[in-house]
Amino acid sequence: MSALPDTVAWSAAAARHNELFAALTPGARIGLVAREAPASILLWEASDTGIQARTAPYPGFFDSGADILLSADAEAMAAIRAAVDGQLFSVLRAGIRNGDVICYMLSRRCELEVQGYEELLDALGFAFMGACR
Amino acid sequence: MKPGELKLPYLFQPGQLGRFKTKNRIKYGACCVSNYNTRDGFITEREFARMRIIARTGCGMITNQGAYPDPLGEGKAYFRQVAIFDDKFLPQFERIAADIKEQGAVAIQQILHAGRYGGIDLGYCIQPSDVPQTLPHFRPPKVMTKEEIRDCIRQHAQAADRAIRAGFDGTEITSFMGYLLANFNSRFTNQRTDEYGGSIENRGRFMRELIDGIKQATPDNPLVVRLNGAELMDKWGGNTEDECFELMRQAVDAGVDMISVTVGWQEAPESSIGRDIPPGYWNYLSERAKKICPNTLITFGNRLPDPRMADACLRDGVFDFWEVCRPLLADPDLIHKAAEDRLDETRRCIGSLNCLSRLFRDLPYTCTMNPALGHEVEPEYQVTPAAVKKKIMIIGAGPAGMECAITAAKRGHEVTVFDKAARIGGNLYAYAMNDLARPDDLLSVISHYEVVAKRLGIEIRLNTEVHAKFMRSVLHQYDVCVIAAGASADRTHYENMEGVELMVDALDVAHGRIAAGKRVVVIGGGKVGLTIAEALRKNQGAEVTVVEKNKRIAGDVKPSFKWRHASWVEELGIPCLTSSQLVKVTKEGATVRDGKGVEIVLPADTVIFADGAKPAHELFHEFEWMVDELHGVGDAMIPRGLEQAIQEGFRLGVRL
Repeated sequence: MSALPDTVAWSAAAARHNELFAALTPGARIGLVAREAPASILLWEASDTGIQARTAPYPGFFDSGADILLSADAEAMAAIRAAVDGQLFSVLRAGIRNGDVICYMLSRRCELEVQGYEELLDALGFAFMGACR
Repeated sequence: MKPGELKLPYLFQPGQLGRFKTKNRIKYGACCVSNYNTRDGFITEREFARMRIIARTGCGMITNQGAYPDPLGEGKAYFRQVAIFDDKFLPQFERIAADIKEQGAVAIQQILHAGRYGGIDLGYCIQPSDVPQTLPHFRPPKVMTKEEIRDCIRQHAQAADRAIRAGFDGTEITSFMGYLLANFNSRFTNQRTDEYGGSIENRGRFMRELIDGIKQATPDNPLVVRLNGAELMDKWGGNTEDECFELMRQAVDAGVDMISVTVGWQEAPESSIGRDIPPGYWNYLSERAKKICPNTLITFGNRLPDPRMADACLRDGVFDFWEVCRPLLADPDLIHKAAEDRLDETRRCIGSLNCLSRLFRDLPYTCTMNPALGHEVEPEYQVTPAAVKKKIMIIGAGPAGMECAITAAKRGHEVTVFDKAARIGGNLYAYAMNDLARPDDLLSVISHYEVVAKRLGIEIRLNTEVHAKFMRSVLHQYDVCVIAAGASADRTHYENMEGVELMVDALDVAHGRIAAGKRVVVIGGGKVGLTIAEALRKNQGAEVTVVEKNKRIAGDVKPSFKWRHASWVEELGIPCLTSSQLVKVTKEGATVRDGKGVEIVLPADTVIFADGAKPAHELFHEFEWMVDELHGVGDAMIPRGLEQAIQEGFRLGVRL
């Protein structure tokens, strides 16, 4: 089982990329889990005081409360851990594009837009994704 | 036999599907739902007119677009998709089946339950398991109960029976693109623990029961199943290619009459049908299907747009029928041209995916290359003989001008095209020469215009710039002047900037009129700037930085191709500074102010300007009193792109 990044580093990454998270409404959640046998979920959670990071037991896709769930294979998780203090979003974007990270959308696009996800989705490469390639 | 039929003997040999003979080995594939119909599933006159064109393509077998089989619309993938869940729809299907058969083709009706991509009017979609979406366009999943599975199979069987009663010869079910059948077959979306999930035997149970249900309902009629040779979802835990072929074996054992081999899911992290995939790339999947299922008919056509390639595949036993759709959207006469040995006149599908990508914005499909597509019912889009024959001069031999010229010439007008360049094609030529995906596709547009213009007797005067003095020299010689001179770089915003004169224009670099250096800054991250940047980086090894004033690059790129530019700039290591403004240009490089107001100097020996274009409006003012009719098309009106150039050229050509 691949280890999730450290919570403190995850929180610091959000602070460093504040422009991506600034528009999120309180309650917005982005989760990260290991693809193989996920036991825990690492969350970025928007609140009135900013973005908090925490881990929790992983209850499954829909009970996770996440709007977006990133599911990384072992290699991708290692790359994410290595990039957490640096080019994290480049690594996430590349992982999503090459299939090493699955980005599950647990809310619809219109709901995500209302919740202020536009910049974050852009950083994850979703401005450039879509059906039919 | 016609001359082209002799050259392509395998393609034009008769075939057989069940008890039905086919006049050739070409199957029109139901690759696109048109989105032309009513919101409640009835077929419109617009659709009937389109189907008349499809019925007359010359294919030996024609598949009508997928209809959803359930009254709730859980299987409905597109806003204006056709329905077949009730006999009230029968008269419309009767009309289509009759028209196809009148043209001597075998008529197949596709039944399309979209599963994971369905429920477009609902708040959910149905799936074997609750695997969330990866594309936010689609609906959240609801897991099917066993009773719902049984109902779904019954609905498919009833839909098939309805299609046969309407006069269709056979039916088709589809797992293409990740629809319901694919959802059961795939490990990615099927995580059930009952008899419909787990092992591949269990995952294939839904398909086998579906085939059995339809065969029982329509025992005398052939059934086609579209199955992935590759899902391209294996990285996400989907089926491997080996598993895909095992499922084909199961389909054969269940009694299917024909397998249509397909590639990819909508959400797959790999490209499957875009123009970055070389023609013939996926043929190995069909070849493998043919080996694994030697006694079942195999049909295939993904990224196989050329009848000559298809003929060779048939000769080599790669498949039994060539399945073709998008090339026939671009040129409905493709098969006739092949039969008459006129393939050089073909208007090729360039794989822009305009057709499919519009569907996911809930719009009717259109075609970059075929402006009449979807407008067949409208007299205004018909190429009819002109009531008054006119002498027409067209300024500019780019796509807008050439499309207008050809359309007008077909109507009987006498047309002369002027261009200051030494070749036709305008800026499309420059774009093609810098395109990393498939220049050949774009150059085919130009060669099509060259061939057709010559056959229509259009005079083309190259190396001829049309200006006021030239116009005075031809006064009263033409009845109509069409300005299709394109656009030029618009530096208005920068005219007072220090060093503006040091910048070179992107089009000069793209055309090869100016050579860029080894360190380049490109101002403008739209399609022109990105294309130049990518080509300089990849082909010349230049260090390139893109500066874009907006928050994102590729703002003017088609949705289906944005991801490609985003990938290329990352793969090639091209930094893109967004929300950044050019401040000044010196011999040392470009000074740029980023979104936070911080100025940085980007060292460069060449600064390329690709940040806006202005139309050739000055010509309109100059020529206004020199000719009876004056019109404009394409970028000369509003700078945009190939699709708009072709569409506007055609629209003007049919009404001159």
